[in-house]
Amino acid sequence: MNCLLCDKRLDNQPTWQQLLGIAKMQSICTACFDLFERIDSVEEDEILDSVHSLYAYNEQARDYLHQFKFLQDIALATVFASELRILLNDPKKMIVPIPMHPINKRNRTFAQVEALLKAANISYQSYLQKTTESVMGEKTRAQRLEMTELFEVIDDIPNKEIVFILVDDIYTTGTTLRHAARALKSKGARRVEAVTLFRSKREK
Amino acid sequence: MPFPTESIDTAIKNGWIQVIEGVTTKTTWHGKHYTCNRCFNSNQVTFTTFECAQCETTCAYCRNCLKMGRVSRCSELLIWTGQTPIYPTNHCMNWQGNLTPSQQKATNELLDSTKQGIPHLLYAVCGSGKTEMLFQPIHYLLNEGKRVCLAAPRVDVILELLPRLKTAFPDTVVEALYGGAEVERFDAQLILATTHQLYRFHQAFDAIFVDEADAFPYTADETLQQAVKKAVKPNGPIHFVTATPSAQLLAMNKKQGNISILARRYHGQPLPEPRNIPLWNYEKQLKKKKIPKKLLGWTKERLDKQQPFLIFFHQIELMELAETLFQQLDERICAVHAEHENRKERVQLLRDKVIPGLLTTTILERGITIPNVQVAVVGAEQTIFNKGALIQIGGRVGRSVPNTSGDFVLFHQGITSAMDEAKNEIRKLNKTEVQL
Repeated sequence: MNCLLCDKRLDNQPTWQQLLGIAKMQSICTACFDLFERIDSVEEDEILDSVHSLYAYNEQARDYLHQFKFLQDIALATVFASELRILLNDPKKMIVPIPMHPINKRNRTFAQVEALLKAANISYQSYLQKTTESVMGEKTRAQRLEMTELFEVIDDIPNKEIVFILVDDIYTTGTTLRHAARALKSKGARRVEAVTLFRSKREK
Repeated sequence: MPFPTESIDTAIKNGWIQVIEGVTTKTTWHGKHYTCNRCFNSNQVTFTTFECAQCETTCAYCRNCLKMGRVSRCSELLIWTGQTPIYPTNHCMNWQGNLTPSQQKATNELLDSTKQGIPHLLYAVCGSGKTEMLFQPIHYLLNEGKRVCLAAPRVDVILELLPRLKTAFPDTVVEALYGGAEVERFDAQLILATTHQLYRFHQAFDAIFVDEADAFPYTADETLQQAVKKAVKPNGPIHFVTATPSAQLLAMNKKQGNISILARRYHGQPLPEPRNIPLWNYEKQLKKKKIPKKLLGWTKERLDKQQPFLIFFHQIELMELAETLFQQLDERICAVHAEHENRKERVQLLRDKVIPGLLTTTILERGITIPNVQVAVVGAEQTIFNKGALIQIGGRVGRSVPNTSGDFVLFHQGITSAMDEAKNEIRKLNKTEVQL
């Protein structure tokens, strides 16, 4: 088995925890993993009750997302599997991935957030549906702020008291997450939090 | 895709393009077996399966050639089967240099093999002027209207060759392909390419020359060897050029092709033989922020005599540790490795004598010429320094007139067979005729 990012041979010794299925096999080498900068930043605003971002959006994060999303390397979904599982595997929480528009999903051949959750073996509910094909990364800050509603809620929400956790790959201006949270809250959800892999600090 | 969709559609309609699936699936008793039709990779570990939103089945893609754009079961590969372009047959060769009699002999042999379409191995020692020996055979092929590829495993080699070939063949369309290159003419008659780029070609060349055929990753990666075979036309020859052929390459060309050996450098002087000097616990000493005594002495001598030097390390971490220590000796000394963007500039600074010496990984083992350079290897017993690598490293020394010799030291903690073999081979080559 080689590191999924740098292709160097992984020579980690198998451990008892791995053998018993408690710990997952590492899919990238420690050198590559150390290049991700763990920040665990938690922020909140009037709509989002909490946004927990695990890593800083540094060069390594950018390369990772490039390979994962644009080179469509779905194997990379396993890289953060155990970190996401520790955070999200909780029956008291309702995990809702930020969806992709069906056309965009077809073009990419997979939806990256769902792939991350599947790789981590976390159950989720796809309550949201994207209404536009437009993509956040291509917009300026001003354009993002004046967007009309991006998401609609597909089903009725059975349990409104449960904590909803939105999951996305990157948190930049927060427009996407706020739109999603607003959609859920308009259907009666009480508390909507979010977990994202990366936090991008750059202001556009 | 460098072509508009409409013209591709018309070409498919007219039967000029054959469409094949990206990844072939074979079902065997123990599950599915995938093969990538672009890079011919069939190592099952490098295939990832997933639920594809496009073909809506369990799809698989190849991670071996992922960097060139993903190829999966539901992606299509296009092969041009229409008319082949007609290339000009009047090429001028603008090269004034002279070949030595032994170079001329090897060139003639290579040319004969090219005419007959037989694979040829040009086994020529480091610094024997290999590139120049290729000019006549390439010129012959171009004048026949043939399409030629000169491939090498490393980008550095391609970048070094490009200006030389452009001046040698001023009215030929020459294009270089490598990761990140801006390519205008994919249909160029003479293509310089890294071996990876040959994944893109299917029976496209009348002849391929593989330079530095023993360099990493070509020998280690079987798909690259297959890519070369795939890129050449069915009866086209594949010629190899190297200073350190592997046993496999020698055996292959002995059986099916021809071999020319050039055991003398163009200036006629012998190759420098390595000196073995034991250097125990160098790793420990460096970690204690101390340069081992013998290494320190060697470096000081180079600094005193103002001779440029290269010190090879097996590991980047250790080299960077040593870098700070060497900088206390002379602050201009610095390190280069594969991820340094300015490594070309640093090598140039060494040539210009702005920097007295460089610490390096095996990245500088081949393709560079620095007048009067002296070379040391720290940790020559490490497996990364195999016979080929050591011969190549030694090949940096004494390449140019008037400094046709120099010091080539192997600092080691125990002599390995690779070190012995390298020394024996250099001795053999220096006694001229090598027995194969």
